[in-house]
Amino acid sequence: MKLSKTLKNGFLILVASIVLTACATQKKTTTGQLQGDVYTGSDSVEYLASGVPDRVFFATNETVLTTASRETLRKQATWLRKNSDINVVLEGHADERGTREYNLALGERRANSAKDYLMTYGISSNRISVLSYGKEKPVDSGSNPLAWSKNRRSVTVKAN
Amino acid sequence: MLFRYLFIFLVLLPVKAFALIEVDITRGNLNPLPVAVSPLAIDKSSKENFKKILKKENLGSEISMIVENNLKQSGLFNPLNKEAFLQEAEIANLKPRFEDWNLIKAQALVTGKVTFVDDKLRVEFRLWDVLAGQEMMALAFTTVPSNWRRVGHIITDKVYERLTGEKGYFDTRIIYISEKGPKTNRIKKLAIMDQDGFNNKFLTLGNELVLTPRFSPTNQMVTYLSYFKNLPRVYLLDIETGMQEVVGDFPGMTFAPRFSPDGKKIIMSFAKDGNSDIYTMDLENRIVERISNHPSIDTSPSYSPDGKYITFNSDRSGYQQIYVMNSNGKNVKRISFGNGLYGTPVWSPRGDLIAFTKLHKGKFYIGVMRTDGTGERLLTENFYQEAPSWSPNGRVLIFYRETKTNAKGEGFSAKLWSIDLTGYNEKMVETETDASDPSWSSILSN
Amino acid sequence: MNRNVVVSFGLHTLLLIITAMSLPFLAKKPIDLPPIISVELIQITDKTNIPFAPKAKKVIEKVKEKEKKLVSEQAPPKKIKKQKSDTVPLPDEKIEKIKKIKDKKQNPEKVETEIKQISEFEKKELFDSNNIAALIDKSKVESAETSKKLDKITQDQDKEMDFGGLTLSEEDALKAQIFGCWSIPLGLPFNEDLLVRIKLQLKPDGSIVKTEILDHARMNRPGQGFYKVLAESALRAIKLCQPLRVPSTGYERWKNMQLNFDAREMLEG
Repeated sequence: MKLSKTLKNGFLILVASIVLTACATQKKTTTGQLQGDVYTGSDSVEYLASGVPDRVFFATNETVLTTASRETLRKQATWLRKNSDINVVLEGHADERGTREYNLALGERRANSAKDYLMTYGISSNRISVLSYGKEKPVDSGSNPLAWSKNRRSVTVKAN
Repeated sequence: MLFRYLFIFLVLLPVKAFALIEVDITRGNLNPLPVAVSPLAIDKSSKENFKKILKKENLGSEISMIVENNLKQSGLFNPLNKEAFLQEAEIANLKPRFEDWNLIKAQALVTGKVTFVDDKLRVEFRLWDVLAGQEMMALAFTTVPSNWRRVGHIITDKVYERLTGEKGYFDTRIIYISEKGPKTNRIKKLAIMDQDGFNNKFLTLGNELVLTPRFSPTNQMVTYLSYFKNLPRVYLLDIETGMQEVVGDFPGMTFAPRFSPDGKKIIMSFAKDGNSDIYTMDLENRIVERISNHPSIDTSPSYSPDGKYITFNSDRSGYQQIYVMNSNGKNVKRISFGNGLYGTPVWSPRGDLIAFTKLHKGKFYIGVMRTDGTGERLLTENFYQEAPSWSPNGRVLIFYRETKTNAKGEGFSAKLWSIDLTGYNEKMVETETDASDPSWSSILSN
Repeated sequence: MNRNVVVSFGLHTLLLIITAMSLPFLAKKPIDLPPIISVELIQITDKTNIPFAPKAKKVIEKVKEKEKKLVSEQAPPKKIKKQKSDTVPLPDEKIEKIKKIKDKKQNPEKVETEIKQISEFEKKELFDSNNIAALIDKSKVESAETSKKLDKITQDQDKEMDFGGLTLSEEDALKAQIFGCWSIPLGLPFNEDLLVRIKLQLKPDGSIVKTEILDHARMNRPGQGFYKVLAESALRAIKLCQPLRVPSTGYERWKNMQLNFDAREMLEG
């Protein structure tokens, strides 16, 4: 009687510990639209020209460019070299999950990351100006991680 | 033997003289103090005159209603129902029959008189301790009739101070951003109102994005961020004249502006090439000074009331934290060390605390900590809230909250909220439209 | 490689089973409840007694009634003093001592003879004081509370026995009453000394004759404005709570009382 109870409890512990070890602390979602925290979809993306997306996305609190972002910016650089009379404004944005003033600074830094990268591809800095909107101009008004990821962006806008 | 008897005698003697029993009272109730605000007495001709000028039937009761409402909103007082008042306003003002007021359980009583004299409004009021049966305070002052609402606020300030020992905060205004429209395309205007929500006025038209307005120490100017011509810059606005001017000639975005305690400088962030640092500009000689110099984001600067220190927000440690430095930028010290991100530090007018916003595990908190970072206390939690601003007596914090939107992106609203330093009396501040970025003025009547 | 895995797995499982068997909640031991001891709260009054039989209680009740009448009928304090020995029965020993003290006063010469007898007397006294100590054991709790400052005197316990602070229940009753009346001003600073001590002079029915704020000077000191507010709130509480919940007997011991209002606990929370 006692033995069977002990065995039963022992088995439960075993199962529980196995379940625990199998659980990862972070969910690595590659749900098609998000990779980690960065938006990889095309919902809100517009195009400067055929095949040239106008924006790059960032992870929460981050200002570093992802591989996908760099690819997009290379396309933009190519297009800008072809159209040397066009100037652009890089508009930096942040999601709503932060304080307003810091988000203004964050947006500016994101836009500058993009600008710096464009410059390494030979685009002159007097063709590029930077403008931050912080969290003031979201593209998706949802209150969920997907919406927020779409809002963390730097958008290249034609200035003339 | 003798000594022993002497000793006993000496011991018993004080006993015979009745040694004092001491009882420790360590608890009480936190109930608001019951106070009766009697309508101010007003003579017939004054009543007529005010009715003509201000279009108010009975200015005496209008003013007392302001006092009543203010006291109630503070959470510290419970103004009693006027229906139960036994004494008439005129008589009560001369010498209240305390038994009558005691009957309705009032512990304090406000009475007064308002008269129209020399085209001006003259008011006198008295505060009575009903239980002790004596006058606690008596004051009189004169002003222009159009200031009648401020009269109510000034009386409240005096009564509040006499009963709590703290300076009041009722004769003040709040400047904020009035918001309208869908989240993706908000129309924002600069707005100003009395602390009780009355006399709301718009100061900009809504054609360009405006953010984070703050009062000057004299309450005559406002500094804020405007996206006029799509260039985000710090501006100055004169409330009386409506004149706006850009602060300085910076080759990049300036934002997060505040006044120095002496009103002579504007302190703000300047962003260039991905880096935001703190700068000041002297409003008289236009000299710009760089205060912080670090590749991290430095923003949300706020002076201590004596002007000697600055608290600010920086991510130099990797994440948003709160720092304090001398007003010349030296001696930078981090003071926030809890779990989570910290932002929007703002120094209390009393100099003793710094209020802040904290983000931790997806929740936003409004909290306070001592100026050395110890004693962190979180006052309230919400899905989204930020940017506390202090009442001039350092007791109440006003901030703003936004709601979640549903799956369709609907249901978004932004409102002003306030909370007492003790964590009590958390309530929404009514505004005509949605509102954000509130900032409290100092006392107007100084 | 495989063999190692199997061995590792086996050992881990063994470990888990051992842990399981030794875990307390799994080894279902019978729950050991301590036997319920019924506790009877004893009313500790002026006379300290060992639990009395129900009959005795009634007798004592009657005596209390008589005392009540005596107390309320008394006029100026002076008279009360004279009748002291009637209302509060002293153990015989004490009366003897008092007599002896009186004698001493009258006949200074007698002192020497008494000194000779010290040793015998001392023995006697020791015995008696032990007796008293045993009797008043129960009142130690309250005497500790109400006589913090009087601890130096060894005869303290005797004093408490006779004229005791308020009993626990009396004190609680008064505290509870005042808790309800005291509206603590929320606007007080946290980090200051928030203690207001008020001396009261009471009538037998609990109404107030006189109040005096100790530390009165602090009320008008610059920067201590909140102290005035605090003191005023305490005074209001007292006035509001009239008549105070005072004990029904022993007017002499509580007619002068000091209430220490300390707002710290409430505000620091």
